[in-house]
Parts: sequence; C-alpha cells; structure tokens
Amino acid sequence: MALLQISEPGQSTAPHQHRYSAGIDLGTTNSLVASVRSGQAVILADINGEALLPSIVHYGTDRKLVGKAAQEMQLVDPLNSISSVKRLMGRGIEDVKQLGDVMPYIFITDKTSNVPRIQTATGNISAIEVSAEILKTLVLQAEQSLGDNLAGVVITVPAYFDDAQRQATRDAAKLANLNVFRLLNEPTAAAVAYGLDQKHDGVIAVYDLGGGTFDISILRMNKGVFEVLATGGDSALGGDDMDHAIGEWILAQANFQSVDARLSRQVLIASRAAKEKLTKQDRAKITIENDEQQWQGRIDRDQFDGLIQPLVKKTLMLCRRVLRDANLSKQDISEVVMVGGSTRVPLVNQMVAEFFQRDLMSELDPDRVVAIGAAIQADVLAGNKPDSEMLLLDVLPLSLGIETMGGLSEKIISRNTPIPVTRAQEFTTYKDGQTSMSIHVVQGERELISDCRSLARFELSGFPPMTAGAARIKVSYQVDADGLMSVRAEEKKSGVAADIVVKPSYGLSDREIEKMLRDSMDYARDDISARMLIEQQVAAKRVIEAIDAALVSDGDSLLSKPEFRKIKQARDKLQKEIPTACADKLKKSIRAMEKVSETYVARRMNASVKQALTGKQIDQVKI
Amino acid sequence: MQILDLKQSYFELFGLDLTFEIDLKRLSSAQQRLQAVYHPDRFVNASEQDKRLSVQQASWINEAFETLSKPVKRARYMLELSGLELNDESETTSDTAFLMEQIALREEIEECRTNADPLGCCDRIMDKLRSKADQFGSEFITNFAQGQLDDARISSRKMQFIQRILEQLIDFQLELEEG
Repeated sequence: MALLQISEPGQSTAPHQHRYSAGIDLGTTNSLVASVRSGQAVILADINGEALLPSIVHYGTDRKLVGKAAQEMQLVDPLNSISSVKRLMGRGIEDVKQLGDVMPYIFITDKTSNVPRIQTATGNISAIEVSAEILKTLVLQAEQSLGDNLAGVVITVPAYFDDAQRQATRDAAKLANLNVFRLLNEPTAAAVAYGLDQKHDGVIAVYDLGGGTFDISILRMNKGVFEVLATGGDSALGGDDMDHAIGEWILAQANFQSVDARLSRQVLIASRAAKEKLTKQDRAKITIENDEQQWQGRIDRDQFDGLIQPLVKKTLMLCRRVLRDANLSKQDISEVVMVGGSTRVPLVNQMVAEFFQRDLMSELDPDRVVAIGAAIQADVLAGNKPDSEMLLLDVLPLSLGIETMGGLSEKIISRNTPIPVTRAQEFTTYKDGQTSMSIHVVQGERELISDCRSLARFELSGFPPMTAGAARIKVSYQVDADGLMSVRAEEKKSGVAADIVVKPSYGLSDREIEKMLRDSMDYARDDISARMLIEQQVAAKRVIEAIDAALVSDGDSLLSKPEFRKIKQARDKLQKEIPTACADKLKKSIRAMEKVSETYVARRMNASVKQALTGKQIDQVKI
Repeated sequence: MQILDLKQSYFELFGLDLTFEIDLKRLSSAQQRLQAVYHPDRFVNASEQDKRLSVQQASWINEAFETLSKPVKRARYMLELSGLELNDESETTSDTAFLMEQIALREEIEECRTNADPLGCCDRIMDKLRSKADQFGSEFITNFAQGQLDDARISSRKMQFIQRILEQLIDFQLELEEG
C-alpha cells in the first residue's frame, strides 16, 4: 500500500534481513509459541489474545477443532476430543494398555502398524497426527502475529525423551510441514530463558515438572555455553498424576454406582480445578454433577499433600540419581530453576527447597519459560545473531545398547555422553557365505533386553559372501544433535556398504508418513483458506499501524477535521472487522481504507518531498 | 567449513601435553572452543554435506573429550598411542594379591547392608577406593614415564577394576538411600 512506501528521501529502503523463527513448547497440557521480535523474546498470542493453546484436538464427524474449542468439546464428547497425547508419543500398544485408566479413548491396534491409533468420528488417529495439528495451529498463530512466514522452528522435548519419543516429535513436525532447526531439551531451554550463562559461571539444576513429564538436568554455565552434565527424569510423571490421585480419592469418597467415560472425564476436570485452587487456598470445594449422579465434597491442603507426597518423593529420588551421575553433591549447585506448571504446587516447592537446601528460582512464568528459551535458540539458529556466543551442548539421556546372546543388552553409548556422538563396533560372520545380519538396538540402563525399550531392528544385507569369520563388518551408531540415532554398516575388507532396512519398534514407517502426508493434502484446501484469512488480517493490521503512525505525525496539519474523521472511521471499521470478518470482506475493507486515504497519501508525498528539498542546492538532491 | 585433521591425537586436538596429569579445566574450555566452531548448531542453514561433516567432526571432538576426561580411558588411550594393542576381553590380571583385595572389597560393601550406619560404612569404603585409584594412577604415571608399557597397562587395568567397584558402590548407595 502506498502509505507504507513513504520513507525519508535519502534513507535506505532496503528491509533489514531478518529471518523469522519460533520456539514451540509442545506440552502435555498446553502448548505455546514464542519468537524474538525486535531483539526481545515474546510469547505470540492468538487473535483473541490467548497465549496458552490447550493441547487438545477434537475430531468430530464434520470438523476438526484445536485448542480451547476442542477443550470445550471434551465434556460433551470426551471420546472424540483427544488430550495429553504427549504421553503417547513414541509409545507402543503395550504401553497404551498400561495407560488404560489414564486415557479414556478407544485404541485401535492392527498388525500393519506399530503405532496405536485412537478411534474418532473422523477416523483412526495417531498421537503423531494430533501433535501435528497442534503444531500447525501454533505456526499459523505465529505467522499471523509476525506477519511473515517462519524460516524454521525449534521444538522442545523433555530431556528424558528416548529416541522413539523424539522421532515421533520429528514425524509430527514433518506432517505439519515444518522446517525444524533443532529439538531442544526443555530444561536447557529454561536455562537459556533465564539468561543464566550471563549471570553465572557455575553449576545449576533445572527441576522441570510438567503436566505429564518430569526432568531434572544439571548444567554448567560458562559465558554463553550451556553444557549439560547429566540429565534424568521420568517421561510419564507429572501434574496429570496429581489429578489422578485426587480423582481416585473422589471416586473412593463418592462411591458412584457406575463410572463411564464422561463421568471419569468430569471427575478429572474437577480434580484439576481442585489442584489449581489448592495452590493458593487451603481448601477446595468439589462438585460433580451430571444427569444421574452427583457428589459434593471438600479437600484440604493437608489431604492433598498426603495424596501427592509419593509423587514428589519420586522426583527427589531422581534428583539424587542425577547428582550422582554428574559426580556432584547438593552443595555444588549454585541455583535451582523451577519450570513447568506443576511447580506451582506448594508442596513441590517446599520439598525441592528442602532437598537442595536453598532458595529456588521461579521469577519467570513456569508455563512460558521453555517457549521463550526455545525462541532465543531459534533466533540464533536462524542466523539472526552471527556474533552470538550462545552454544548449547547436550547429552544422551539414556544408554544405547544392542541385543547380545541370551537376551542381554551390551552398552554401546552410555547415558550422559555428550552428543553428537558416533561409536563403531566390529562384527564378523559365523557362517560361510553369510551376506546379511540383524542388529537389535535398545535404549535403557538395565541388563536384560526385556527391561529396556526396543528402538529398532536394523537388517544389514548386501555384503560380499566370505568364509565364516573372515568378514569384518563395521557398524557405526550415530546420535545427532537432536538425540536421534542412525546406524551405518560396511564390510571393511571389501569396502561395501550394507543396505539397511530399519524396522522401528514404535514409530511410523516411512510409508505410513508418506500416506499421512498425502491424506493431509485433502485438508490442504482448508489450510489455504485459513492462510488467506491470516494474510488479510496481517495486511489489515499493517495498514492500521501505518495510518496510525501517519495521523500522529502529520494528520492534524495535512487534513481538515471532516477528512480526518472520515479516515478515522474507515480505520476503526477495519480494526473491528479483523477478528471476525472473512478474507474477502477484509480485502474489500482494506481497499476502502486505501481509497479514503488516497488524497492524504498524495499530500504526505508532496510534503515530504518539499521538506527534503528545503534549504538544499539543486545539485545536492539525489534523483 | 574447516576440516579437522583426524590423524592428530586427542591431546594435540585440545592443545594439551601428552601426559596423564592433564588440566581438566583447560580440556573443558578447549572442548567448548572447538564445539563453538564445529557443532551442528553452527550449520543449521548449511548444505546437507556440511551438515553431515559437522556431525562427524563434532562427534569426533566429543569422543576425544570423553576419552581424555575419564582417567581410565585416558590411560588406555595413552597406551594405544604408544603402539600397544589393547583387548579388553582377553586381558586378565594374574596378580593374586590384587584379586584377593578385590574380593575383600566387594564383601566389605555387602557387609554395609547389615551395618548400623550403612551409609557411613559406604562412605568409608568410598574413601578407600578413591585413594586406591590415586595410587594406581601414580603407578601408571611412573611406569609410563619409564617406558614400562606392560607395567603401565597392568596399572591401567587395576584402575579399571577400581572404577567398576566404585560404580557398583554408587549404585548400592542409591539403593540404600531410596530404601
């Protein structure tokens, strides 16, 4: 638009080369997106000013809802409104069975896939697809707010996520069509947000208790470098478990005749509300009411503390372990940073402070700090800060091993090894003419394969036939900076690289991802219209910003009162339409706005030329 | 991108003298200086080939760091640099006195279980193990300096035994603390 194009004569009009990027906190309960704007990391709210997007997707018969709208559907239609899928990422059918009482959904398992699906009115949906929907919504929200496309994103994951869980997160991003710069560990992101590298040359602990995951990391700070020394946790322990503890207590008190999906959802929602109240109050009233049954009761802080104490104790046990891993004692820790919504619970603060024997850092909003840190890292990775010294050095959270004779795990790379890392091993053949072999990779600390998590089976083939024991097959295991593993193999004598077929134990196969991507094309039309709307909303905002700035600087001097009023009216109309109007309508209003201000633009142009010429010789004026 | 000389030794990579008694702080800051150049985060927008190279080189730097920062690994790496071929599986110690000592130490740990103060009992063994580790470390330094590589290898082997018992003790302590 013409108004925007006025710049002071003689000044450069070339736009500053800035690549927009975002940090995404893909949480169990809520998700957030943040970005660095004018050098400042900020949370990007949606058009209604909401920063937190509930991590819930509703799959109805004819529509898909994400976030708050999906949350509202949870009570009415619990089976089609999917929440807490972070707990299912990278998980298999057996794991899902164990989550039976936690997840009220109908799980579909078939032999063609390792990934359990949830039955919904739209079809059978995997956790990866649900996460992809949340990611898409967040990216739209970010692009709308920034008014530009994102060059890439950083997505945070619990430090204690294993390879399968990280891979699932990567797959979700692929489905959402995102360029992922890096998967960043949540505790590291929090340390970045606090800017602790600037203030400290010391060792800190980050205690991160979220909705569904617990992480404890020990980091050493040194002028821009964040070095993770050790990390530990439990990827299935969090605030959700507190809700369930209250829920079970309610069910024991209320003694309902029958409990269906809807009632248990109601109990859970009431439990969460009670938990939240108890962070500030000493007691909370609980009311459960539906058509057939009802119950009313009260829970006080002491009762609540009693219910959750075992959970908090479990986190402290993990803290003790990670200190041991880092070869440090509590006295070596100079700061303890508290992250995650569940650290609002008073008992958590009290017990953690007692454990570390010091005050805790919690000035930044524990729900937002991870997204903020991710945004700062994304900005650096996008190349906007070439002089930045920031460097994040992370470790492998769980040991990688391979299956050996007798169902034992032989460690290849032990936990807390700095990543990226590559380790090689040599094998030989045990039969004449053998041209293939299979390697089963597992992750975990236990001796028995059955106690570790199976990651994948790698089938190596295509090396030249030799007599038994003559071949020298070098297998390299590589873990990249995202904590993701890959395997390569070659026969050293012949130099022939093996063909590798990966059979992931829990993840989607490449073919499944391809199919999902194709299917999502069918929805692309919806996405395109959503994008068009956003583009118009952004254009409208820009026009308003430009006209506001112009009116402030010379509106009074260049316009008569009626002219001023007319422009102001058009501006206000447009402003009001932004959140509600469709793309076409917005486009029309923008054009109307431009038309009304045409004369004004022309006058500004003249005034600005006149000003540039005033007091200058003709030969000083650049044409 | 810059390419590291993968033929240089880990000591050369970090600018350290070839000695067992290295300055861990210097090692750590040299590691960070190198990662600041080669870490994959510096190549997010680079070509696929440079990305791969970066992962390879950063991995190599990490491997070098791991090796030098752990005393047992460092000692064994020094022996390898001197041309000794080490094979963990076929290596045993024939030092009967040392073996007896090992067995005694393991029994001592087990006995802590029934001690009135099991954690204090563990702490005492921990101190003993640490001084043993130091002792074998000095032995290694002397043997290595005198070019007695086979003796140095035996010292490194003993360090490894002690290290394993130490790890077991730590696990045992955690088990006690967690009840």
